[in-house]
Amino acid sequence: MNRGLNRFAILVACATFFLIIAGALVTSHDAGLATSDWPLSNGQVFPKMVGNLFWEHGHRMVATTVGMLTIVLLIYILAKEKRSWVRKLGVFALLAVIAQGLLGGLTVKLMLPLAVSSAHATLAQLFFCTTVSLAVFTSRSWIEARQLEEDKESLPLRYLCTAALVTIFLQLILGATLRHSATWDQKLPVELVVTHVLGAIAVTLTLGGTVLTVLRRHKGEKFLTRPATIALSLLVVQLFLGVAAYLTRLKSPGDPQPLNPMVGITVAHVACGALVFVSTIVLTLRTYRVLPAADAHSTWAARPQES
Amino acid sequence: MNKQTRVWLVLSIALSLLALGNACSKPANDTNATGSASPSTGASEKWTGATGTISGVISFEGTPPAPKKIDTAADAVCGQKNPNLMTDDTVVKDGKLANVFVYVKEGSVEGGKKFADYSWDTPTTPIKLDQNGCHYVPHVMGVMVNQKISITNSDATQHNIHWTPKSNPEWNQSQPNGAPPIEKTFARSEILVPVKCNQHPWMRSYIGVLKHPLYSVSGENGSYEIKGVPPGKYTVVAWREGGAAEKTMEVTVAGGGSAKADFSFGGAATSSTTQSLQMMPAIEFPMLGKH
Repeated sequence: MNRGLNRFAILVACATFFLIIAGALVTSHDAGLATSDWPLSNGQVFPKMVGNLFWEHGHRMVATTVGMLTIVLLIYILAKEKRSWVRKLGVFALLAVIAQGLLGGLTVKLMLPLAVSSAHATLAQLFFCTTVSLAVFTSRSWIEARQLEEDKESLPLRYLCTAALVTIFLQLILGATLRHSATWDQKLPVELVVTHVLGAIAVTLTLGGTVLTVLRRHKGEKFLTRPATIALSLLVVQLFLGVAAYLTRLKSPGDPQPLNPMVGITVAHVACGALVFVSTIVLTLRTYRVLPAADAHSTWAARPQES
Repeated sequence: MNKQTRVWLVLSIALSLLALGNACSKPANDTNATGSASPSTGASEKWTGATGTISGVISFEGTPPAPKKIDTAADAVCGQKNPNLMTDDTVVKDGKLANVFVYVKEGSVEGGKKFADYSWDTPTTPIKLDQNGCHYVPHVMGVMVNQKISITNSDATQHNIHWTPKSNPEWNQSQPNGAPPIEKTFARSEILVPVKCNQHPWMRSYIGVLKHPLYSVSGENGSYEIKGVPPGKYTVVAWREGGAAEKTMEVTVAGGGSAKADFSFGGAATSSTTQSLQMMPAIEFPMLGKH
């Protein structure tokens, strides 16, 4: 275990979180096309950062920094890390950030088509997931974790965590699509809003059930209960932010420009969504780390399902 | 995974990405400035006889929404040049409404032919759309299909012009201060094309694109005038921004005469309404009985 590598991986994860916030600010300000150029802005590397160009070019600068940090992280991993799968994940992180940059350029050049913009927003979450995972895998707590027992008669926690993670990821895709389907001066499409609300209910049920199961089965095991508690707490905040974001977006088409309450709350909703996602990822990874593999649950798998 | 499988996997991903990019790309067949891609309309006959005019006044009933103050803190140049920048989506003066786009939608020309069977020459003079004081001047304008629009930036700051039509290709172009005018055209008629600046999100403009020159925009006193109308019976439409329903009116124009069509907006209209002679006593036909 290399403490320096772990700290640097945490730094890259934090920078990625900041990048997600910067990207969300671009969307909320409708600044994505503030310049028709890419990768330069108005033909310049450092244009005058006025109006919405501040948000768009600022996002590009933060993204460039994160790209550089990811390169350094990969070099650090290749130099210090012996586990081949961690080294491969480092390579994947670099490929993901390159793909993300190209998607960002593509969406500007194609004038923000919904599919490309939503893919850009979704890949951002996946890249954040990757950097957080690298921080987890290089941590002392991961390496020194001890195996736990799980009741073979019950549904494996791994399955519950994976189900919650997949549900949250689908909800993130829905949220990204909803955000990019209408600018601040347009009404949100009702069908997407309803689907996103249904997604929120599904996330609440799956994540809530998972966290309660963790707390019931592994009380006192902070390795699992801490990320579980954080994920659930963030989910509660996220639900309130979701309602507030919807209310401010209802009003925004009548505003002369994107106003700070709408921008602040919608960006906070995106950021908190990302935190719910990564805290669930941490929980899931740790579950896989310390709980027995699925084949150890052959007893459960062989049992007929009870209603 | 063997080598052959890897090659196929990489090829599949590459082809998928190409297909995605192709599916997501928008049509861009009208990005040149001269725009000679006007679809054939089948209308070739030109009206050579006497013409009349359609004129009127646009009123606003009730209390108009108060203009909203625009925060220009993000770009000091806007605040310096236009310190009291307000929204201009509803400009009402003495009960008269400005920036209403009025145009002839359809009708029959004297002699029985349809209005759509006639064609008009495209003016060679470009229409100017200026970015001045961090808003568009004019706020609403009309052009003919393939008529040049000369876009200028009179501000000491950068803008981008981004129009989002439905029938024509979407277009976005940065225009820094001091940059030369940009000339663009529309290849297809469209009512109306929204124009915005993503750098200054309050900036809005609307362009009505028609195959004929029979349109006008109401001025500050609410009045408008459409000249060069061949004698006949027409449906005249008045459009204003903000999602209000279009107003339509049937008028009859005699050669050398004029028809009056006043429109009224206000309240929260939800659907298109057609006003007939019986329903709209304000309509006058001063030319009737003269010929």
